[in-house]
Amino acid sequence: MTERPNAEPENLTQPQIMQPQAEIDASAREVNLDLQPAISARSLGADAWEAMRRSPLFWISASLIVIFVLMAIFPALFTNKDPYDCPLELAREAPSPDAWFGKDLLGCDVYARTIYGARASILVGVLTAFVTAVIGVGIGTAGGYVGRWVDTLLSRTADVFFAIPLLLGGILIMFTFPSTAETPYMVVVFKVVIAMAILGWPNIFRLMRSSVIQVNPLEYVQAARALGGSPWRVVTSHVVPNSMVPVIVVSTIDLGAYIATEATLSFLGIGLREPAISWGQAISDASGLGYIRAAPHMLIFPSVFLSLTVLAFIMMGEVVRDAMDPKLR
Amino acid sequence: MRVTTRVDAVAALAAAGLMVSSCSGGTPAASGSAITVRGCTPENPLIGTSTNEVCGGNVLDAITAKLVHYNPDTAAPELDIAKSIETTDATNFTVTLNQGYKFADGTEVKAKNFVDAWNWGAYGPNGQLNSYFFEPIAGYNDVQCGYTAEGEADCENQPPKAETMSGLKVVDDYTFTITTSSPTSNLEVRLGYTAFMPQPDAFFADTSEGKKTFGDAPVGAGPYKLTSKTDTEMVLEKFADYSGKNTGSVDKITFRIYNDTSAAYNDVVANNLDVTDVIPSDQLVDDAWKTDLEGRNGVRDTGIIQVLTFSPKDDNFKNTKMRDAISMGFDRALITKQIFAGARTPATGWVSPVVDGYKADACGENCTFDAAKAKQLYTEAGGYKGTMPIYVNGDGGHKLWADAFCNQLKQNLGMKCSVEVTPDFSTLRKGINAREYKGLYRGGWQMDYPSIENFLTPIYATGASSNDGDYSNPKFDALLKQAAAAKTNDEANALYQQAEEILGQDMPTIPLWYQQSQFGWSTKIKSIKMTPFSTFDFGSVVLN
Repeated sequence: MTERPNAEPENLTQPQIMQPQAEIDASAREVNLDLQPAISARSLGADAWEAMRRSPLFWISASLIVIFVLMAIFPALFTNKDPYDCPLELAREAPSPDAWFGKDLLGCDVYARTIYGARASILVGVLTAFVTAVIGVGIGTAGGYVGRWVDTLLSRTADVFFAIPLLLGGILIMFTFPSTAETPYMVVVFKVVIAMAILGWPNIFRLMRSSVIQVNPLEYVQAARALGGSPWRVVTSHVVPNSMVPVIVVSTIDLGAYIATEATLSFLGIGLREPAISWGQAISDASGLGYIRAAPHMLIFPSVFLSLTVLAFIMMGEVVRDAMDPKLR
Repeated sequence: MRVTTRVDAVAALAAAGLMVSSCSGGTPAASGSAITVRGCTPENPLIGTSTNEVCGGNVLDAITAKLVHYNPDTAAPELDIAKSIETTDATNFTVTLNQGYKFADGTEVKAKNFVDAWNWGAYGPNGQLNSYFFEPIAGYNDVQCGYTAEGEADCENQPPKAETMSGLKVVDDYTFTITTSSPTSNLEVRLGYTAFMPQPDAFFADTSEGKKTFGDAPVGAGPYKLTSKTDTEMVLEKFADYSGKNTGSVDKITFRIYNDTSAAYNDVVANNLDVTDVIPSDQLVDDAWKTDLEGRNGVRDTGIIQVLTFSPKDDNFKNTKMRDAISMGFDRALITKQIFAGARTPATGWVSPVVDGYKADACGENCTFDAAKAKQLYTEAGGYKGTMPIYVNGDGGHKLWADAFCNQLKQNLGMKCSVEVTPDFSTLRKGINAREYKGLYRGGWQMDYPSIENFLTPIYATGASSNDGDYSNPKFDALLKQAAAAKTNDEANALYQQAEEILGQDMPTIPLWYQQSQFGWSTKIKSIKMTPFSTFDFGSVVLN
């Protein structure tokens, strides 16, 4: 992992340190000297940005993500139709200038419902990625840094969760705690998030643990420890920031996978439910063979949006990995 | 109670339609007079008194003969094993049998085969699902177990007082008498139901628990006999010594078990299966199935009605205006057209049009869509407080129409409603039986026998077994009693129709639509007919 040179000097000026000031400065300078010839004086973030800026893939995925996030936050920007306005007379009508994506089985506007569906999917994806990252980083750091029996205990616990397939576990959890119509929107979303996070964290945990173990013996960590930094400070200032890169990369890629899993759960009728609108539900409702023949637009549009979103996040993850992992360059 | 389990099974499997795995091994048998039919796994042993679903019923129907046979076209009862069923007071009946009828094992059908089979089916400790069919017979209560305080049958501590019903008496080998506990003018119509089939001596000799051994190899007096029954297929062959009028046409019928109705449908389209009695609902859209099965498809009105029951636990429905408003506030015709592609007919009453005694329009303007009037009644009733839940089972393809129904109420009445989907049919039934739900819940009724009475008494009489809405009206009950005691069928039907009119005023449930069954066949078959019970009439099969 790449060291962050400019972070070092200020961290080392701690009042209780008994060593002469000059020596510390010297050691800091030494570290700087080690690295500076290789790259110019830029932070890792700036460096990665430099690399990503030049990748067309980055711009494609970023603009897709921006569009989908905007869609999720302000659906009204994209459509002025009400997704709950469903005149049954128009059921299954083909796309027309009036209804760009046509109408679904109940006569609802497919375009409006696809736009409004972005919110649930992206919310679930982002929240699940965030929650798994928080749990995984926390537990992974504890395991990797403390080691010994704590590590064994945490690793075996993670193995237990790792052994349960995400989808199977999600189905079990969603069946055990079903949502009703009275359940508020955010609670429904959180249930799905928690169901996936409980089974998704070991992935991040393993990554974090191994990169903490990698970072642990490095000189600057040793130095911080030798200088009497409290474990909390050593972990938060040195270990975690320098072990995060793989987690960021994998979380971004997983985000896409979580959106797909949510769609699967909703497809099975146990994920998000009315009044929440989601792509998974739309795909589920439209996927009878006869429906596909009679009105393929009901299935195609939500599917394309779902695929594009998942693709955008996975591409973004790839770009970030390429930029942040110097070994690949 | 024959709640429409079949309709439920159908869509449950349609939901799993992606996992298309056809179990058809190859082409149909080479012999010219053999056909394959879509089948499903029977829930219970194949015994008349314990089979109340179509998977087993389809097979039993072909291998059994009863006193009465329903005409495959009109559903009218015709004498079969019975030579005559005579009564003067609608209470004491004398049944004379045709001589020479044989069971598939060669023994003759005699009066005691009926009497013993019915007594066995009614006897409480035997726990037969269809035992309630014997309820009209005198002495039925004496063969039932006592009940615990919780209302559950308790056969161990409170065994029945008698082993046989006092109302059944064997006179000689070919004559027996039936006495009913109260006048039952339509007894003859009921006697064609599977529960009233005779059982051969071999049945009574079977000592296995629940007669399971016999149930795996049942013996009836019908035009076909069962020659093998496995987990994947049930094979019927023509019974050579069959002595009745309802002879089968083909020599061999194989019921092939399908878990997925879409797979069965695809096999019929590809001519790998000869007949399917279910068309997946998504194929109904734009009549796709009629294009796939051009010249080899059929539609049959069947005795099934769907209703939504008002929960007795919901105070919002105490006002009749509220119930009228909801029933008037949605467009039945539009939903049947857009959601069911015409496979349902909007209901105008509580009785299916296929039965004897049907009269249109019992529901009158309450079942006629009128948004303005509905809105006005709804406002007068004070509006529904909160969100009205609509309970349907998730394994029956009911969510879609329920969503459409709810959307219409939102638009036309401005009320809030939500569709609550239970994982399966039995969960819904449990919730209804425990009266846990508020709002509306779905009810389906498939007739047991083709009589107007079967659509009224079991569902709306006070305390009746399927009275899900706890409906009770003394005037209605009195009319049912009078009708049951009527001397002639016409007189009875007129009284039943009057009773149905009362339902039109009280609106205990919302009649939704009558169901039709769609079916298709392979190019091997020229024509085949379906009965109003949505079973096939195997006597009418014509091969190409």
